[in-house]
Amino acid sequence: MLETELVDVINLISDIRHGKVYTSYDVAIHTEQLIEKLISEGQWNTAEDLMVLIKARINRIMSALPQESTPVNIMRHILKIIRELYDTGFKYKSEGQQSLHHLITSNVDNAEDYSKPLPSLRSSLLDHLAEYKTGLELSTDNIATQALEHIHADEIILTVGKSNTVEKFLKHAAEKRKFQVIVVEAAPLYHGHEMAINLTKSNIQTTVIPDSAVFAMMSRVNKVIIGTHTVMANGGLRAACGVHMVALAAKRYSVPIMVLAHMYKLSPLHLCYEQDAFNICASPADVLPYSSGPIINKVHVYNPVFDYVPPDLVTLFISHQGGNAPSYVYRLLSELYDPNDNEI
Amino acid sequence: MSKLNKDVSQKDVVQAVVVAEYFGNEFAPITNDTPLALLPLLNVPLIEYTLEFLSLGGIEETFLFCCSNVDTIKQHIKKSIEKSAGWSLTMQVRVIVSESCRSFGDCLRDLDAKGLIRSDFVLLEPGIVGNIKLLPILKKHVDICKADKGAAMTLVLQEAGVGQKGRCLYEELLLVATTNYRVLLHQKLGVSKKRKIEVPLEMIMDNSSVNIYHNLKDTHLAICSASVLPLFSDNFDFQTKDDFVRGLLMNEEILGSTIYWHRISGSEYAAAVTNWRMYQSISRDILHRWLYPLVPDMGISSQHRNYVHLQNNIYRSKDVHLTQNSSLIEDVIIGSGTSVADKTNVSRSIIGESVKIGKNVVIEDSYVFSNTVIKDHCDIKHSVIGHDCVIEPQCKITQACILGDGVKLHKKTVIENELIQSQKPKDELLTNKLNEKAYKLKIQNCSTEISDSEEDGLLSRKLLRLHIHEEDVPSDDESFKSTDSEDELSYTTSPVPDDTNLFLNEVIDSLARGFEDKLQCDNLILEINSSRYAYNVTVKEVNFNVVKAILTLPFQLFVGQAYLQSLRLLLVYFSPILTNYLRNVSAMGDCLQAIEEFASTNNELNECVAAVLNWFYDKDYLSEEVILDWFSSIDSNTRFYARVQPFTNWLQQAEEASSSGDE
Repeated sequence: MLETELVDVINLISDIRHGKVYTSYDVAIHTEQLIEKLISEGQWNTAEDLMVLIKARINRIMSALPQESTPVNIMRHILKIIRELYDTGFKYKSEGQQSLHHLITSNVDNAEDYSKPLPSLRSSLLDHLAEYKTGLELSTDNIATQALEHIHADEIILTVGKSNTVEKFLKHAAEKRKFQVIVVEAAPLYHGHEMAINLTKSNIQTTVIPDSAVFAMMSRVNKVIIGTHTVMANGGLRAACGVHMVALAAKRYSVPIMVLAHMYKLSPLHLCYEQDAFNICASPADVLPYSSGPIINKVHVYNPVFDYVPPDLVTLFISHQGGNAPSYVYRLLSELYDPNDNEI
Repeated sequence: MSKLNKDVSQKDVVQAVVVAEYFGNEFAPITNDTPLALLPLLNVPLIEYTLEFLSLGGIEETFLFCCSNVDTIKQHIKKSIEKSAGWSLTMQVRVIVSESCRSFGDCLRDLDAKGLIRSDFVLLEPGIVGNIKLLPILKKHVDICKADKGAAMTLVLQEAGVGQKGRCLYEELLLVATTNYRVLLHQKLGVSKKRKIEVPLEMIMDNSSVNIYHNLKDTHLAICSASVLPLFSDNFDFQTKDDFVRGLLMNEEILGSTIYWHRISGSEYAAAVTNWRMYQSISRDILHRWLYPLVPDMGISSQHRNYVHLQNNIYRSKDVHLTQNSSLIEDVIIGSGTSVADKTNVSRSIIGESVKIGKNVVIEDSYVFSNTVIKDHCDIKHSVIGHDCVIEPQCKITQACILGDGVKLHKKTVIENELIQSQKPKDELLTNKLNEKAYKLKIQNCSTEISDSEEDGLLSRKLLRLHIHEEDVPSDDESFKSTDSEDELSYTTSPVPDDTNLFLNEVIDSLARGFEDKLQCDNLILEINSSRYAYNVTVKEVNFNVVKAILTLPFQLFVGQAYLQSLRLLLVYFSPILTNYLRNVSAMGDCLQAIEEFASTNNELNECVAAVLNWFYDKDYLSEEVILDWFSSIDSNTRFYARVQPFTNWLQQAEEASSSGDE
């Protein structure tokens, strides 16, 4: 694939790297726009052509930004939509939900032929995408509306750092109920401070604690509610650094942990897929300033960005469809992605 | 009207000027063939770091100023754009060629003549890497310009702790500035040999508050107003940016221009590769991820990620061939296609692409560029090895050797501290042929032969710079210590033993004078105490050194007389001092240690040590328990032990006798 044909995805990568597109929601919207443009204006005739185009983009993003799973997940989901539309277009399979039995027994290897032109594909895909886009836009609100089911009056909720989804979730609950929030400040970036300020603006009683106080406070906490960067295929999390510690403390005190996750955060990849690239280390400056003097010459400072949280520490995932246990993630994955697309 | 113009100018594209030419041959022989801009830094050409940094910093148009090797650089830029390097998407790069330029200043004068720059711009000296967000600094500069019409330049400086490798010895900076960041004095200390810095009194009188900084590192990056270029044109003696800064500060009234500075903070980092020492410390800083997100595993400017970041800051390319017994210890980066054979150790080194390393090789603190072959049993320490070299088995390359591209070394060659290049240099006299593919570039101590001419002076200084790690040769682990301790401004806490030595001398002087002039002991105590604070020594060291000083005195005052007698005389005279210092058990221990140490190096005392100890014991300066305790810790094989033993035996017997007497 020539560079010039991939210019859209290269620009997206550049924007993400320059920090112009920062939150995962922004990344999701930009990816959706990219795909929409590709479908409406791209040079393709058959479903197969389109899938090749999308796969080239997935590869590009995976090699340039291995830690950024959102755009890849969305594109994978689009691949699944293309397959479904193609199948229904030719009536290969009966419409409607496939049964669980069928999902498990269906032969993954059967390389189906997607090369027949289907004139209605473009328009129906664009319809689906429009629907998907509204889904994306409403996802945060949909998650937030479930807040009252999970947060009860006078509860103490603990959260870590800053997450837009969690913030909205808590604010929604605060409209009806009174409860208390403990925000872990999440060193070394201290996004928790910002989160706490935002929460207090909505009259939520908020306490900021240092990361070291998590275990001491956990005994009083009723629920831990956090956001995540990615949900791995086994139900584990790739979350901000420090979450693993919180999860372990919660497990010790049997405090339930709820993870707010948009569907685009579900990744069909396992931890072992590319273990070395799972984490990234940021600049040590946040941990040990460059002005510290000769000690800089003598030490290695690691400032990891992510934590892996194993699935057994997570109680519930809350997506816009409702709550799911980690063990159910595989089922969600098979709804979202086609098994043929897991390896690209 | 002018305000309108300003607003319009703000909408202009944000421009940067990179002078890619390094005037000087600091990096010879590596830079004989490769321009500095393409010098590999962690296996990526230096210019890629600079451009990617500018693009991430928010620059939209960059002028790349080249004087030599223009085609190579142009080709490289073209290739990078084809590969859609990160910067090429958001930034336009224009290569400006001017082969007549001989200095940094010439380049800027040339640029002024071309009239390409209209508004504020970012000026970069060659070889800069960084991850600074430039737009906020530019905005700050614009704000300063609004308040002060004469503001010409904002220097960007980074705080770097004292004694850090990232501080370049030759660029030690002293900065005097007002509280609103206006620079009053800017002096590079390394270049001037002066031991004192003079700060004009007016500087302090004229300003209500002045800050003096010595904890800053020059990033070689500056935000310039459009007026900078005409200033360079008007003053043709400005050769470098430092000349410019100095000239402007000296003639502030005449030229009517001022200079400000900005301190970068947090995770921002910038530095310039100006010599091998900086090359080394920047490599290390990047491996330690100070330049994040411009780190090898994120693929500097390329869209593909070649490296995986592992523990101990090891970066391994995906197709590296490592055998089971080879080991990468720490701070290592290994480029793709490289193979490392059995029992080879690599630490704190950069290995390029497609390098073949044989068995039993040790590579430490070295930089091996691409396509080089290193055969079995070689030893490479603190050295740079260029592209396409071949090192035959059992070679030893140590102590800041720099091998140019394509050098071949025969079997069992041992070189230390040499510059080696593959072609025959023109200057036959200074040449030393190793073989057809290896010529020593300069005779080691040419600096002594060379006397006056300015060019030669430069040469000798350059050679000095190349001895990057002279002082660390004996130590392996703590390589590349800073040499700052030799500096008169020795902030690396001039070694403690020196201080105590000085203190000891001071005490000896005081006591000698006190004894000769028959001064009162109380006054001497005062004197000792004040020198104690002057040299900042601990109480323990005071006790130790006072006793040691008294023991030394007989050699100074009573030359040729019997040691024991004169010592006794002194001890009696100084007994008030002893009473003052030997107050508790730990002080007694210090006293005994002083005796032990002095006796071990000194025969006279060794012979009469029992008598001396007896005197101390009789006068109650030392208690029995302390002596016995200390005695038990002495190595029983020494002569000293034998000398002390009769006395302790007597002590023990006396004790038994007295205890039995009590019964």
